[in-house]
Amino acid sequence: MSTVLGGRYQRPDGLGKVTGAARYAADLSVPGLAHACFLYAERPHARIVKLDTARARSLPGVLAILTHEDVPPVRYGMFVKDRTLFATDVVRFEGEIVAAVAAVTPELARTARSLIEVEYEPLDPILSAEAALEADSPLVHPDWEDYAIRDGVDRRANDGGHFTTVKGDVEQGFAEADVVLREIYRTDMSHAVPIEPHAILAEWRGESVTIHSTTQVPYPARSGVAETLQMPESRVRIVVPPLGGGFGGKCDFHFEAHVAALARAAGRPVRLVFSRREEFVATDKVRHPMVIELETGAKSDGTITARRARLVLDSGAYVGDALFAAEIGLMMVTGAYRIPHVHASAHTVYTNKTPAGSVRAPGGPQVCWAVEQHTDVLAAKLGLDPRELRLRNLVREGDTGPTGQRFDHNGAVECLERATEKAGWGKPLEEDEALGIACGWWFSLPVPSGAYVKLNGDGSGSIITGAQENGSGSVMALALLAAEELGMRPEDFSITYQDTDVGPWDLGSAGSQTTINNGRAVIAAATEVREQLLELASEELEASPSDLELVDGQVQVRGASSRAVSIATLAAKAHGGALLLGRGSGLPPAVPEHDLAGCVGRLGYSAFAAPSFYCHVARVRVDRATGVVRVLEMTAAHDFGRVLNPTGAEGQVEGGVVHGVGIALLEGTAFEDGHQRNPHLLDYKLQTGADAPPINVIFVDTKTPTGFPHDAKAVGEPPVVPPAAAVANAIAAAAGARVRRLPMTPERVWSAINGESA
Amino acid sequence: MSDPQYFAPDTVDEAVRLLSEHPGARPIAGGTDLVVATRGGRKELPEALVALHRLAELRDLGVEDDALRLSALVTQAQIAESEPIIGTWTALSDAARLVGSPATRATATIGGNLMNASPAQELGSPLLVHGAQVELLSTEGARTIGVDELWLGPGRTATSPGELLTKVVVPRPQPGSASAYLRLEYRQAMEIAVVGAAALLTVDGGQISQAAVALTAVAPTCILVEGVDELLADAPADAAPFDAAAELAAAQAQPISDVRASAEYRRAQVMVIVERALRMALRRAPDRVAA
Repeated sequence: MSTVLGGRYQRPDGLGKVTGAARYAADLSVPGLAHACFLYAERPHARIVKLDTARARSLPGVLAILTHEDVPPVRYGMFVKDRTLFATDVVRFEGEIVAAVAAVTPELARTARSLIEVEYEPLDPILSAEAALEADSPLVHPDWEDYAIRDGVDRRANDGGHFTTVKGDVEQGFAEADVVLREIYRTDMSHAVPIEPHAILAEWRGESVTIHSTTQVPYPARSGVAETLQMPESRVRIVVPPLGGGFGGKCDFHFEAHVAALARAAGRPVRLVFSRREEFVATDKVRHPMVIELETGAKSDGTITARRARLVLDSGAYVGDALFAAEIGLMMVTGAYRIPHVHASAHTVYTNKTPAGSVRAPGGPQVCWAVEQHTDVLAAKLGLDPRELRLRNLVREGDTGPTGQRFDHNGAVECLERATEKAGWGKPLEEDEALGIACGWWFSLPVPSGAYVKLNGDGSGSIITGAQENGSGSVMALALLAAEELGMRPEDFSITYQDTDVGPWDLGSAGSQTTINNGRAVIAAATEVREQLLELASEELEASPSDLELVDGQVQVRGASSRAVSIATLAAKAHGGALLLGRGSGLPPAVPEHDLAGCVGRLGYSAFAAPSFYCHVARVRVDRATGVVRVLEMTAAHDFGRVLNPTGAEGQVEGGVVHGVGIALLEGTAFEDGHQRNPHLLDYKLQTGADAPPINVIFVDTKTPTGFPHDAKAVGEPPVVPPAAAVANAIAAAAGARVRRLPMTPERVWSAINGESA
Repeated sequence: MSDPQYFAPDTVDEAVRLLSEHPGARPIAGGTDLVVATRGGRKELPEALVALHRLAELRDLGVEDDALRLSALVTQAQIAESEPIIGTWTALSDAARLVGSPATRATATIGGNLMNASPAQELGSPLLVHGAQVELLSTEGARTIGVDELWLGPGRTATSPGELLTKVVVPRPQPGSASAYLRLEYRQAMEIAVVGAAALLTVDGGQISQAAVALTAVAPTCILVEGVDELLADAPADAAPFDAAAELAAAQAQPISDVRASAEYRRAQVMVIVERALRMALRRAPDRVAA
């Protein structure tokens, strides 16, 4: 019986963060520090006809100015190598970096920036993803066919990644249907908005550079620096100080190479700290604006027979890591429903807007919001209760997903049942209030990871990991897994992390993968230490290792706690001989078998390993005269497999719900002529503490074998996926009008109420 | 680019003298508009700053028989929490309570709020319906003008460069009066007015004897709605044509379309918010029911 797993564990880095003792990247200073700023295009599409830095260079105190001429001519990109560090000839979005400046003060750097002379020849901006897919559209990248790609990427003109899902025979499915429903939903761009903006400090020693960065993904960031500056990875060290949130916006390789190149040219350490406006405009990871077309056939008893779907993702000027969002979004078009016949496609479209990519659960909230509203509209058309329609179609053991993966026993139905019961589905509510349901699924990502565990001479333990903490607490909780394995307490362990010269390779804080992959590695490493301890204890206790167990800080003969030796004693003894050291990695669990016959462009998210299910129920009140919506209560049921640390998992659900309510109601970027109109927190409105509703968190522990540690599943991303959908359905029920545009702002709700009642 | 000069005078006379000697100077109190806008790159710092924080004589919050006297450094938090203001000049405390965050309210002053001349300022409409006046001081002497004369447009006032706003005088309302301020709120904290309205009603024996409505964020300045008194005076409180008053307000609003709302939505919301503000004021009126 576990003594630590499933218990409540408070993360050790919390106190420093809430008291201000934690030092973030922007707090770092070193002797001789110089300050960086970037010159941005500030226009969506133009040709550079003149770029002259001479006046800026002549300003005393300016240490370096870089343009594309000063770095290797390398095109980079995770899927499509479509981008250079600095604009080369053409700028393709307002936040494109044209030049970088380093000077002795931030003020001087900005003054020098204003002295850089750039002349542009305006080019027609391509601002609509749908228009960009038309055959006669001008091209964002006229040379797109020359760009290198990762295997599997399927491209078209202005389409950086095209995907299809083909299951069964969709025509036959529609032929079997009694009703057919066709709808279109649209979403606006939204942002990750970590409270800590990007900050980077680069310092060279000889031919090696150490970069302190706010990245969520230190190892991919290291690869990006090595690739773009054409140097060996061994000479690049990325260190991440405590991270003030990322939410995906700090995934992928960003600005580390610019600052490293500046520091080399300046001959000084250089620090870059983003303003809030830069965080909106220049951070090239935003949540995709999407057009979501859905067509569904169903029998009159509610059985869904067919789905056709088309996603158009407005991906901005460069592909970056956006193809994750497109492929995951494509997987979400069926929801967690049994649909025998599916035809779906996704287009990742170039426009002259901010590049889109990873934001917490990329592709998830938008598609879930559309699919789950579509589900409610279908229920109304069939004359069925929305809960009942879902209950009849949610996947059970043995059903198949959109690419034919077969589901194990899972919690999809139980999540619906428990969430609707807790929320009081069917019970009377106050006037202008209503409930809305959203169900769905998400994946657990199997990727390589590694860790070391050692026991020190005093009996304490150390975990050395490549995992990255982005605020979720998952790295902090790795101590639970080591403690469980070794019969120790989590507080016995220190954790060293976020340094590429120290830990083994890791994907980083992305894809909700830390606990399930780095956790595997930590357990494997601890298992080696465990075996070493058993060996030592077996001599000490004159018993076979197989008769021994590790409990409460000691190794004891099974069932005879008096015949025991403390782990501290063994650790001290080991320091006179062979040290207690373990290393772990192990093979990631396999992705379920599936069938990609007829599918195009698939890149690794073609089946969901250890799928995580959920159901959220929102209770809202709609002010019909103003369109203002208040979320009064959220009930969130999640099948995370086994919950290893309820305190941490609840925090993830609560944070995801509040983030998701923001996506539902207010978080959206308005564009005008290719410029963001609200790149600041006054008019890009996050939810505040006053807005956060009471949240009922329900864990549905399904005992599903997943291949991940202790049958755990992904936790970080799923909670942000369904809130917007649940809120949307509640709004429609309360207002009698449906809002098919995200965010569902007061004005949009008011327009829907007046449009449909007019 | 040279750094601005900075002064922190000890007396109001010295402050006024500094303002007259440095025509490009701006007074600074809480700094919640000027500093934030400058750091955000939306404003340039002025040539000189005259900081007012040492001027204890500008901190008085005086509740007197004839009027409420709010010196320039009275904070939004003080206005929000003052019992006499909550009881008698309620629209002011309604408004102050809505400003920004607790940190903003503890720092932001009434003088700064008024002189920043934003059409979205919360205190503007409450002061208009209460017929407030402001005292302006310069080396030339003092003068008093109505708040309805103070604002000329966004960021523009009728003051001369050397003038310092020292005090806001809000007359004690007639017996039987009550006021309210409401705004359309997209979220429940850290919000800025998209549409706001203040209403003041005097009710005597169940009959309205006096009425005023002012609007926030739907014109270049906060504005008094004309004709409300004529429309509502002598109406029975329980059947007053508040909907007609709301229509009057909507007709006088000059809303724009921007990232916060379209003009059409703003105008429609003027109707909703004005009617709600009038109803809230009426609910607070002590003598709203006929004897």
